[in-house]
Amino acid sequence: MNILFSQFLLQIFFLTIVFLHISKKNFDVVWAYGIQSFIIVLLLFNSFLETQRTSLLLITLLVLIIKVILAPGFFTRLVKKNKLIFSASTYLNIPVTLIILALLTAIAHSNTFAPLTTIIPANKILLSLALSSMFLSLFLTINSKSALSQIISILSLENSIVAFAIFAGLEQSFSLQIGILFDISVWLFISTVFVSMIYKHFGSLDVISMKKLID
Amino acid sequence: MYNPELLFIFFSFFIAAIICLLSKNRAVIEASSIIASFVALVGSVMIALQVAHSGEYAPFSLFSVDALGAIVMLIIAFVGITAALYSVKYLQQETAEHIIGSSGVTHLHSRVREYFILFNLFMATMFLAITVSSPIFAWICIEATTLSSAFLISFYNKPSATEGAWKYLIINSVGILLGFFGTLLYFSSANSFISNGLVTWHLLLANITSLDPLIIKVAFIFVFIGYGTKVGFVPMHTWKPDAYSKTPAPIGALFSGALLPVAFAVILKFKMITDAAVGPSFSQNLFIIFGLLSVAVASAIIFVSANYKRLLAYSSIENAGMMALGFGFGGIGIFAAMLHMIYHSFIKSALFFLSGNLLLKYHSTKIAMVRGIINVIPATAALFLAGFLIVTGAPPFGIFFTKIFILSAGIKQYPLVVIAIIVCMTILFIGFLKHTTAMVFGPAPDGIKKQQENIWLLLPPLALIILALCLSFYIPPFLRTLINYVTMYY
Repeated sequence: MNILFSQFLLQIFFLTIVFLHISKKNFDVVWAYGIQSFIIVLLLFNSFLETQRTSLLLITLLVLIIKVILAPGFFTRLVKKNKLIFSASTYLNIPVTLIILALLTAIAHSNTFAPLTTIIPANKILLSLALSSMFLSLFLTINSKSALSQIISILSLENSIVAFAIFAGLEQSFSLQIGILFDISVWLFISTVFVSMIYKHFGSLDVISMKKLID
Repeated sequence: MYNPELLFIFFSFFIAAIICLLSKNRAVIEASSIIASFVALVGSVMIALQVAHSGEYAPFSLFSVDALGAIVMLIIAFVGITAALYSVKYLQQETAEHIIGSSGVTHLHSRVREYFILFNLFMATMFLAITVSSPIFAWICIEATTLSSAFLISFYNKPSATEGAWKYLIINSVGILLGFFGTLLYFSSANSFISNGLVTWHLLLANITSLDPLIIKVAFIFVFIGYGTKVGFVPMHTWKPDAYSKTPAPIGALFSGALLPVAFAVILKFKMITDAAVGPSFSQNLFIIFGLLSVAVASAIIFVSANYKRLLAYSSIENAGMMALGFGFGGIGIFAAMLHMIYHSFIKSALFFLSGNLLLKYHSTKIAMVRGIINVIPATAALFLAGFLIVTGAPPFGIFFTKIFILSAGIKQYPLVVIAIIVCMTILFIGFLKHTTAMVFGPAPDGIKKQQENIWLLLPPLALIILALCLSFYIPPFLRTLINYVTMYY
């Protein structure tokens, strides 16, 4: 795959995370995650084409099934079932959020993280972008008011790490792939159960409504 | 030579979990869990003896146990068997008091079954995490501990328990993902050999020269923050008081007594690789910074704590900080930190069991609601008092000596840190003493009457306190050898 095309894909990936920060609708959040995961599938498939390793193709297929089809499907059903169309808001308002996102992106591109982004010098820009995506996903976990957005932010962080691994040339390690897949599958199941439990107890997915631990 | 001990341990827990899943008989569920924990105890002792004799136990390429792993296995096994024994009577008492199973017999069976399935899976994942030979599989198993224990925190199915479990799940998942990223970075430094098969701790260490020192430093920071979240170092500790205070008492014991050393051991394994690549001062400084921060924050909060389970959680954070300081100071500090880990696991688990006794009697975790324990449940009061004295480092118990040795290891190079720690320890002791005396002495609240204590709710904490006491004055030769190995290599 052409490096410019990889960069284009990664830029869309990055923008989906920015979108997750500003979106108010749960459906949009789920869609953005689906697109983001599809980009990961494309990048993994490209790695398979380059390396011809069957294990990578298997992983690509599993990621496609779990992250692009099953997970967004799960979340969409959850949103529909509980009529949770608008709950994906953030603690900080949009202008402040965007300023912080710009700062985090600048930090990821700064010299402080140069040792990480020059693991493969030819992929410096791509690795910087993947690192920015990681920071933005991490910030989304802190900034989200909705339990669903928190789940998606963690999955997005995991996607960003996978993107970093791909451009750092680490996607070929089979144990890494198993680790990633294990994390996605079990984590998704458990977090989905928890979201239902939260809704049952608090009547909302807004984490602000969780104040029972104060005592 | 064929060494089946490790397989016995894993299979016993998985078989117990399956039995719990299939059986409708409560006694069978309880017995299978106790037997599995007992098998793990026997297996762990046998493995520890072998490691003390030959330096390592590696029956298959996927598993290897060194001295650190053997010590942590022993800790998990002892805390595990006592937790299994305590759980049986504790859940029976909770059933009798309608704390669980209030929606009928079917609901009760499913709750007890769910508890023991998760208990066995949690135990299995902890053993796996400490014995696997690959950092990636260790990460998977640590993540599995989060996933298997999250439902144990929300076990009581109350809003506050769900909230605590959610906090635990989110914070630990983020932490573990950062740990994963750190692990990845170690691999990126070793790109030339990762695609050739399983990357083990040994392989990473053997290829130390191919690791880029700058990347290794960044990687270790991520690993420290990631797994440090699981240990509960400040400022990644915020999940801990909430989770500990909402989970059933025996699970709190497992969290503090077993899971904490497992996560700590994984950090130490990365420390060994990092030290070989960039020298020891980098990782030591991190241990000192986070150790000092943990002791200081925990001591201050303990002083104003209003909930005895949260008090124990903060005490765990403080003790994790002391262990970090021991490894940060190095030398005799490492020997003392390892002993501290053992003492702390036993005593803190005992204190969590006793907190379960308090909860059963007083139906509250608020310190203000618990008064006059000595008049109501005197045996629990005596053990709680003893546990408090030991865990705060009162002489002549083991933790007193380990704290002294840790501080003496650092006094020459880091005098200000040591002075700060002494001040914090004083505040902690006064704070803990204030709460403990208020709970133990004085008149009991109206309606709380003296009652016969159940021996099965006293034996597990008593056994752990006796064990810690014995180890304070006599360390068996094999254990001394294991700790010496850890001091040498870590």
